[in-house]
Amino acid sequence: MFTEELKAFRRLGFRHVLLQVLNFASVIASGLMIWKGLGIVTNSESPIVVVLSGSMEPAFYRGDLLFLTNPSSEQYKTGDITVYKIPGAEIPIVHRVMETHDVPKSIDIRKYTKSKSKSKPQPGEDSKQDNQLLLTKGDNNYVDDIELYQGLEWLEKKHIVGKVRGFLPYVGYVTIAMNDCPQLKYALLGGLGLLALIQRE
Amino acid sequence: MARTKQAAAGSSNANSSSVNGSQKARSPSPDPSDRPLGPLAVTVPAYDREVVKVNNANLTELKNACDDAVKRFLSRPELFKQIYTHTDVRLGLGWLSVFVAAGTAFYGYKIDFEQSKPVVTVGLILYIILTVLSTLYAYFVEGDTIFVGKRKTFSKRIITERITLSSSTPPTPKASSCPSYSVSLHYVRSTNGGKTLLGRGRTKGAAPYNKFFDANGVMDQPAFEKWVGGLVETAMDGKAA
Repeated sequence: MFTEELKAFRRLGFRHVLLQVLNFASVIASGLMIWKGLGIVTNSESPIVVVLSGSMEPAFYRGDLLFLTNPSSEQYKTGDITVYKIPGAEIPIVHRVMETHDVPKSIDIRKYTKSKSKSKPQPGEDSKQDNQLLLTKGDNNYVDDIELYQGLEWLEKKHIVGKVRGFLPYVGYVTIAMNDCPQLKYALLGGLGLLALIQRE
Repeated sequence: MARTKQAAAGSSNANSSSVNGSQKARSPSPDPSDRPLGPLAVTVPAYDREVVKVNNANLTELKNACDDAVKRFLSRPELFKQIYTHTDVRLGLGWLSVFVAAGTAFYGYKIDFEQSKPVVTVGLILYIILTVLSTLYAYFVEGDTIFVGKRKTFSKRIITERITLSSSTPPTPKASSCPSYSVSLHYVRSTNGGKTLLGRGRTKGAAPYNKFFDANGVMDQPAFEKWVGGLVETAMDGKAA
């Protein structure tokens, strides 16, 4: 199957090969850029996430796709469903906000968070809105998330990846399958690459 | 098959339609008249043509096969040398945008989200600009062009020729049963470093695909080359068809 293609490449010359590889590379590049662009527009590190556990049933089931935004002027309220990431934990968690406390900028929030870090608050965090201390809990869990906070007493806004705005059921199973079985990921990528390299516009 | 041609009498203007009585037999060496070799005259010894077989039902493949045959036909030695400007611009812009995208994504991966935001935004905007530029170039400047070739010959003086071919598959009218391949040529011959115009020709031609492809999709390359060569020679003679 490949001898025909290789013969064709040799016949058509180096520039043609470059063009075909460019086809493939630009598909990947545009995918990356769309992802990054989405992240910038929504101000969220990871604007689309997949639910991995059943701790938010019956609202979200394992395999649901969630769409997040994180506008810098957002003040989270009780009842919001947020995705947060604890530094030191690998995977983000999606749970509901139970308690919020607004901390005006004049007060140093580290007094309340038992944070061991000596560094100053990072620039880039919104300085127009008050900072907040949050407590979350999964709908399907019996206890709140203190155990998951790895020593922190409260979540701060900087830990929040975003607030859930919408969801698509079942679509996330593709990602779960690709993570559990890496061969699938390579097979998909390889198939796509082959298609892009062989086809001519 | 010895091809005969009417030689223009003594006039250096290729557009002149005056004809003298003598008929010249075609030969591979430049003939005394001012008109350089046409593609049909250059008979390269029978080389191993690769069989071109395409999917008959796929219009894109048919057109691409014809385009490739044109490029091969006109790039033979003694004939035009292909100018790759359009391809190079597309390649350059395309690969630049790929590298910008890769760099931006890598930067965003290494650095924290909050700090990386300004750089990633800049990279994103740069990528969008490059992609838009590349698309606009391909659509407006390049258009349907498939071949741009240049040739310098020396008969009495250095003659520079430039030929541009563009091809398309126009929508088939309901009456005909087979889509056709339409090619249009623009040919300029000049000397003195491009300052003196010797001749110019524009030709258009169209032929249905089934003239060159049989039922299995095998391309009849000699027939195709004869047809294209005829069109090129018409353009070289300066007749607007």
